[in-house]
Amino acid sequence: MATYSIPVGPLHVALEEPMYFRVDIEGETVKGLEISAGHVHRGMESLALQRNYFQNITLTERLCSLCSNSHPCTYCMAVENVAGIDIPERARYLRVMADEIKRLASNLFNVGIMAHTIGFNSLFMHVMEIREQAQDIKEGVYGNRMDLAANCIGGVKYDLDDGIESFLRTQLEEMKRPLDEIYQIYAKDPLITARTKGIGILPKKDAVRLGVVGPVARGSGIAYDVRDKAPYSAYDQLSFTVQTEEAADVRSRALVRLREAMDAISLMEQCLERMPKGPTVPDCLPEIPPGQSVARSEAPRGELIYYLKSDGTDRPQRLKWRVPTYMNWEALHAMMHNCKISDIPLIINSIDPCISCTER
Amino acid sequence: MSTKTTDSPFESIFPDRTIVHTTDSNGNIFGWLALPSAAALPETAKRLAAHGARLCAITAFNEEKFSCGGNMELVYNFDLDGAVLNVSIPVTPDDRCVPSLVNDFTNADWHEREFAELFEVKLTGRDAPKRLFLDPDIDSGVFNRLIPLSSMMNGASTKRLWETIFAETSMPDWAKEAK
Repeated sequence: MATYSIPVGPLHVALEEPMYFRVDIEGETVKGLEISAGHVHRGMESLALQRNYFQNITLTERLCSLCSNSHPCTYCMAVENVAGIDIPERARYLRVMADEIKRLASNLFNVGIMAHTIGFNSLFMHVMEIREQAQDIKEGVYGNRMDLAANCIGGVKYDLDDGIESFLRTQLEEMKRPLDEIYQIYAKDPLITARTKGIGILPKKDAVRLGVVGPVARGSGIAYDVRDKAPYSAYDQLSFTVQTEEAADVRSRALVRLREAMDAISLMEQCLERMPKGPTVPDCLPEIPPGQSVARSEAPRGELIYYLKSDGTDRPQRLKWRVPTYMNWEALHAMMHNCKISDIPLIINSIDPCISCTER
Repeated sequence: MSTKTTDSPFESIFPDRTIVHTTDSNGNIFGWLALPSAAALPETAKRLAAHGARLCAITAFNEEKFSCGGNMELVYNFDLDGAVLNVSIPVTPDDRCVPSLVNDFTNADWHEREFAELFEVKLTGRDAPKRLFLDPDIDSGVFNRLIPLSSMMNGASTKRLWETIFAETSMPDWAKEAK
């Protein structure tokens, strides 16, 4: 049978952001893959060296839209770690709330796109309708539907009053039932199952070898979640399950994301119940001393890590971050081996790729 | 970060090395291991791999922030069941070469390709790494150069950009005038 190569990207209708895949095909079967990145590299780590610690909160928030809370939050944690800043108890819970509302919206977006890719457009619209409620929460609480501007060094820049708390509780309650309904569809619908079960398999041993993170790892049976293994903010005070699946396919990754979206609602409700009254920022901040620190969080796509090196000035000597998608690209080689051409968009979507994050 | 010396999983892996431990405000453990030279890295990595550690990230930086060709440092972050070990190695101007970790940590590939292209650091023990992000037309080691913020954000190069586009595009005169 003849072998030939097809280009997918860098600009392609199935890709929301530019990435180039050269796929080697034999008949309808994928036999090889080459990934070329670099189409939206912005040099943001270099920009960060030329901005002060406060300005970098704004910069990191603009790395990517879907994880736009994880970046400034983890960056602030790295600064707090190097300077020994303890954030107020109330701010810990408010950081969890901002993280979880973003996780809810991000995961629903991904599984919604999966339905669209399959051609199940009524489900896509159903999911996006539920996600719209998460967007309403963001707009109502933070005044913005994507960049929440929730974090500052030492705490958070927002607080909840009784009116907003009541609005939040109502919105979260209203999302539970429809979320449960769509979970059942993703888990049991024959059309979804036929297109996602046994597709894009990433065996656990390959997941370990490649160091994948987030729902991609958990969908392959690796029970690793930074919120559980190395808790930050108020996660050590809250109850949640590290969601895993064993089948390691596209369906597994979608189910993990959906259950984590449901957990996000529970975590936000727990925050509302347990959050103490009090300040949201410290009375004063120390100067940033020379030194180095690391901070990690569980972004919607997995482990996000920041490394900060300070030389004692008001600007970092080095600020480096590694996003979850960065670790997940190479897994496509394993997932797409011997898959059909028609499954390529579905498999790529199943790692929930974020190219603006990857390339910075 | 506060200093801490107990409960670290790294003490038993490296009984022969001095690791400084710190914790964050949640009690998470960070170990800091400074190796005397890049030559000690492969053996360190092998021990970590044998204990099931995962490579999280690699950061390269110049000791003098905007120097070019001076002393550098590479910091490798490894996770071991929730604790992070940060292993640093010096890179000197005379020997800008470090051993690759791809044999022990497959996922080192992208990290190594990135710092090789941004900082012009050479790697041993693997094939010459392909460019990861930057176009081959861009000089390697671009991260070593100070590029003023205004240039980086195109604020100082807008005119040249359009002049280049006009010169290389068969654009009708009326369109050029409109610009």
